[in-house]
Amino acid sequence: MVWLLANATFAGAGLFLLQFVVDDFIAYTLALYFLYAIACLGVGLSWGQAGLLSLGQGLFVGVGAYLSGLSLIAFSDQWFLYPLLVSCCMVPGALGFGIGQLIFRGRTLNGAYFALITLGLVLLASLIATSWNSVTGGFNGLLGVPGLPGLDGFEHAYVISASALFVAILMVAWLLATPLGVLWRAVAEDERRVAYLGFDPNLLKSVALGLSGLLGGLAGVLYAPINNLVTPDLFGFALSTNFIIWAAIGGRATVYGPVLGAVGIGLLTVQLRETIDYWEIILAMIFMGTVLYFKWGLLGYVEPFIKQILIRSTAPLTPAPPRNPTGVGTLDIKGLELQVGQVRILNDLSLSIDAPGIYCLIGPNGAGKTTAFNAMTGELSAQSGQMSIMQSVVASPDARTLAQQGMGRKFQVPCVFDALSISENLSLALWTARIDRPALLGFEALQWTSVIRQELERRFPFLTERSRLVRDLSHGQRQVLDLAIVLCTEPRLILLDEPCAGLSKAETQDVIDTVQWAAASLGATAIIIEHDMALVKALADKVFVLHQGHLLAEGTVAEIQGNEKVKTVYGGGSK
Amino acid sequence: MNAPVLRFENLTGGYGSIPIIREITGRVERGSCLCVLGRNGVGKSTLLKMLSGHLPAMSGQIALNGRDITSLAPEKRHDLGVNTGLQERPVFDGLSVKDNLTLMQSDQDLEGCEPFFDAFPVLKDRLVQLAGTLSGGERKILSFVRTLKDNAPLTLLDEPSEGVQPENIEHMANFICKHKANGQSFLVVEQHLHLAEEIADGFQVLDNGRSVLECKVGDITRGELVQQITV
Amino acid sequence: MDGLLVAHGLNISFEIVVLALVSLGLAITLGLLGVLNLAHGEFVMIGAFSAFFVQSQGWPYLAAFPVAILACGAIGWPVEKFLIRPLYARPFDAILATWGLSLLLREMVEFFFGRGFNSVAQPIKGTVNILGADYPAFQIVVMLAAIALIATIVFWFLRSVTGRRIQAMVDNPDLAKAVGIPVDALARNTFVAGLCLAGISGVLLAPIVAVHPSMGIDYVLKSFFVLVVGGLGHILGLVIGSGVIGGAEATVSAIIDRTSGYSFVLILSLLFLWRRPNGLVAR
Repeated sequence: MVWLLANATFAGAGLFLLQFVVDDFIAYTLALYFLYAIACLGVGLSWGQAGLLSLGQGLFVGVGAYLSGLSLIAFSDQWFLYPLLVSCCMVPGALGFGIGQLIFRGRTLNGAYFALITLGLVLLASLIATSWNSVTGGFNGLLGVPGLPGLDGFEHAYVISASALFVAILMVAWLLATPLGVLWRAVAEDERRVAYLGFDPNLLKSVALGLSGLLGGLAGVLYAPINNLVTPDLFGFALSTNFIIWAAIGGRATVYGPVLGAVGIGLLTVQLRETIDYWEIILAMIFMGTVLYFKWGLLGYVEPFIKQILIRSTAPLTPAPPRNPTGVGTLDIKGLELQVGQVRILNDLSLSIDAPGIYCLIGPNGAGKTTAFNAMTGELSAQSGQMSIMQSVVASPDARTLAQQGMGRKFQVPCVFDALSISENLSLALWTARIDRPALLGFEALQWTSVIRQELERRFPFLTERSRLVRDLSHGQRQVLDLAIVLCTEPRLILLDEPCAGLSKAETQDVIDTVQWAAASLGATAIIIEHDMALVKALADKVFVLHQGHLLAEGTVAEIQGNEKVKTVYGGGSK
Repeated sequence: MNAPVLRFENLTGGYGSIPIIREITGRVERGSCLCVLGRNGVGKSTLLKMLSGHLPAMSGQIALNGRDITSLAPEKRHDLGVNTGLQERPVFDGLSVKDNLTLMQSDQDLEGCEPFFDAFPVLKDRLVQLAGTLSGGERKILSFVRTLKDNAPLTLLDEPSEGVQPENIEHMANFICKHKANGQSFLVVEQHLHLAEEIADGFQVLDNGRSVLECKVGDITRGELVQQITV
Repeated sequence: MDGLLVAHGLNISFEIVVLALVSLGLAITLGLLGVLNLAHGEFVMIGAFSAFFVQSQGWPYLAAFPVAILACGAIGWPVEKFLIRPLYARPFDAILATWGLSLLLREMVEFFFGRGFNSVAQPIKGTVNILGADYPAFQIVVMLAAIALIATIVFWFLRSVTGRRIQAMVDNPDLAKAVGIPVDALARNTFVAGLCLAGISGVLLAPIVAVHPSMGIDYVLKSFFVLVVGGLGHILGLVIGSGVIGGAEATVSAIIDRTSGYSFVLILSLLFLWRRPNGLVAR
């Protein structure tokens, strides 16, 4: 809330005062660049937050502008004009969401492909706009678009676009501070991990693109009456490229970066293009320099600090709603066969766990341990065999659904969200299957805690450094944080892939204790892939030995150690 | 005079920020073979990849014939006389067997491979086949031949016997012994004692990323070794 | 046979062949090095401007080829070293950086040659009669040259020692280093070669299309579509992809209009990305 109020004051005062210090011509130019700034805020939202590099933001601006221009020309004096213009903003928003759903659904699309598709779309729009003469006016565009009734004319331009920009800034500032904003940044960093926390990355990305389209649309809808003209240039790749440049240089992940970029660089360009011939070349080089060396842009290194100071004084922690996963920690795998290319990795693997406890999975390299996990969570699909996970038969496992039912998985390499704070990382886990849609847009869920989280914070004090960025943590701390994320979702079936890899002796002991405590207090089943026999001895209620994709032996540690087959596999003592 | 061909001191390293092996020290004398043993996951391959240059050393030194090579790229180490056979994906799957063997020559001459073809006739029969269509053991043999045929001063092998039939392991051992007699040196990572016992002059056993045992071949009984490397 | 139909057929074949040539360069950088070079089209543009420059100096058309290769090489080498190499591990930033590069190259060419449309005179005048259709002789020459160039490169890639080493590097980079292939230098040369190929295509195209600083965007998009449809694994994919994209666009454009042709190709590519992300000929 403090954050929002601060933003409202700052942006409102700034925009209000600015009009008194500039002359009329600059005020009018500013009005235009404020609109670009709104569209650029959309780029900041989709690209800076959700990681979707759209080379076609102009698409939304153009669609909004043409719709608004046509509406103004046709219904300038009708009572329903204003509602109509509002819906003209909605259309690009819906378009963005629709494009997102279409492109993202079903497949995890490579970021490069997304960028090029948006470029393709904006070029298509440009072709349509120039060739559909009867509606769009072809090359010349829509001429003589009337101003907004009652607000037309030169002198109102600044007020209109400054107010719109004010609203847009507040909207973005608010979204960025909500759990939804945290989720977007998480998706940008590691989509797979977000799915393993029970969220739908594709929906999250589509929403970001939709809101980005909405902002682009708003800019376009106001562009038509203020400029009294809509041309196909709005669909040109040059404008879309400018949005990217402005957002990048200003600071794509911040609220004010895109605004500063659009208004500042825009005005500079207006001033300098005439005097310095190679200004555009300089700009292109600054952009490339930004990409290479200042990834987060001008404000990217400033705004986070201010935000941190403002947010520090927020409400105390509140307990999260209780979580009651439907799942029980059981597992029943029968005759699993999995082949990748020519290589058969799982070979008639059968494995059954029917009571909570700690189980270790061991075996030589290439035995199929991690692959077994991957088959259970849908990373790889088995060719044949049956799996029953948490008492329900799963034909094609899906990480998101399993996570909601109560499965947690920790990968071998720590998968934590570097750009987020420790608190945000843990909050993501607390939100798993607990947060509902309205809460995603509120601020309360950011303060959630739970018994498990408090105990984890007691065991690992660094977890209480709430605003510390995860990218500053050591390897051992990251491993611990990753484990803490898994445990905070309060799973009933926990898959851990070498949780102690690379940890020191003391850290290892802490992790062992924590796993034992968590499994017991959650009544959960933990399956741990582990190489270190000392660890296995300390942890395991039961051990499964895999060899060449097949279950070679199972039993207590002592039974396994006495097993001749196991000795042969490990020692090669055939002579 | 009798400087070791390869010397590594206090090597620590691993993947990304994760140290897998810590402070390992060892040496390979001229014309000898050091076998690195241990269960899987203890850091044997990591050590080998650091020696070959595929993984950077976080700390420690590697010296080849007294020259510091700690920060050299793998291809540079190759040029200085280190030939490496990798454990995973040991051959170029998309190239033919012949191309795999002659990739670094300007011609397609197979003369240097003839003695190997006598021992492993299967390769000669499959010269035009893509290496990716070979069985796992055959790929290991191909990798073995490729690594040994250039008579490099130092050869690093990562589990050369994995999936290979016993009589071919025997052939491999013979080749290594023959090359040793010519003054070439070897460092071989093995999980299985079968090959190691025939070729080794010294053993180094790793556990949990650390060196737990170093000894000459006569100093230890088989039973003691087995005990070191099983669960 | 109907002369008009033959002319249409030749036009479509021309589109396909040209597209295949331009896509080959992009396929080299994306398929072999994993870098989606959004500035690829700008190197075609630089090639075309080389032809324009050469002609404006009164030099013979053929001189444009060495000029284009020199220009693309001189730009490509530092670009690989300072822009692409640091970003091999960050493919997403590489897209952005090459997008910036495309902007820079456009602006630079604009600075020297202006924003307007230029034309390059065809070095070979007149038409050839093929099965009753009068077709520009130069376009026939370009087609044959492009086919010859593609065939040579593919043959060289499959047969030469360097071609095999590139395959080895792509197949298994770790092992390539272990056997002593200087991977960094090889990757750089491959990248620059891909750019030079784009430049050569530009020289070939210059006398046929309008030469202007923004001409590259269209080529990079269409070559991208070709790779989406055809897949990256195999030269056959490139040929099929060019056939599908070039053929479909030329045909639909001829029957309805250019917008429909483009929409059709775009929708087709979207469908492929959605349903068959590895293309028709998977690796």
